[in-house]
Amino acid sequence: MTRPEIKQLIISSLDSGADAGAIARQLEDGGVSYDYSDKFTGRVLDKIFEAGLIINREQEFVRRLSSVFYRVALTGVAAIVLLMISIFLMEGSFSINSFLGIGDTIDESIVCLLTGN
Amino acid sequence: MKESYSRADETELIRASLDGESLAFGEIVNRYRKMVARTIRGMLGDTVFTEDLGQEVFVKLYHSLSEFRGDSKLATYIQKIAVNLTLNEIKRRKRFLSMFTQKGSDEMYEMEVADENNEEKREAKEIVGKALMGLDPKFRIVVTMRMLQGYSTKETAEILELPLGTVLSRLSRAQEQLKDILQKL
Repeated sequence: MTRPEIKQLIISSLDSGADAGAIARQLEDGGVSYDYSDKFTGRVLDKIFEAGLIINREQEFVRRLSSVFYRVALTGVAAIVLLMISIFLMEGSFSINSFLGIGDTIDESIVCLLTGN
Repeated sequence: MKESYSRADETELIRASLDGESLAFGEIVNRYRKMVARTIRGMLGDTVFTEDLGQEVFVKLYHSLSEFRGDSKLATYIQKIAVNLTLNEIKRRKRFLSMFTQKGSDEMYEMEVADENNEEKREAKEIVGKALMGLDPKFRIVVTMRMLQGYSTKETAEILELPLGTVLSRLSRAQEQLKDILQKL
């Protein structure tokens, strides 16, 4: 296709009555074609489905993290219960003094301890 | 799961893609990649980096596929996404460029047609590219739809969501501008 022919096609493609489809095909045959590289489709699919895989991995991580959190929380609760049972067995009550470990201590001995006399 | 979707119709491809079958969506990409390339490269120039925008079009299509009701052809739906993303890209570049220079955004476009071996074909592509780049984006988009995609004025109006009269007047004005541009080439 010569230069004047291409120019003429460009101008005539914009006429309201022109067969734009036919002109577009003519231009394409004349070398005015556009496409992407061979790897284009693969890259698009990677972007979509690899991203999906990443989201799945993130979801799996969050799921595992929450299960670890529950295990730690349950272990903590069990430890607190055992501690309370041992305090009750040793001190015989759940008073603040028992929790602080001074349930058996009399006031005078605390004064002696603090003042050193 | 099918091994090939090359003969599947659009409805089947959409349904399989929504089920997460990558082969089906790959077939959609293969069928419409040239159409998307014509729009984006017609508007932004035939450069390598327009491939990223093309990929973005199909990623966006995949994520909005469940919203596609089938009122229009899939090609029209994809074309609308491509047009919107391309116009957004032009605006983004214009804003970016205006921060550094007083020149128009078209200064940023560059043509890469050296990959065409045939001298005659390379020249044809170069003339079309230069002619398009000489136009204002609002004219360039209607010319791209008409000249490169081969759409009728009615289809162009539907894709660009413009009144038919606006498309016709833009085509007429673009034709006048193109005559001047092509005279200098």
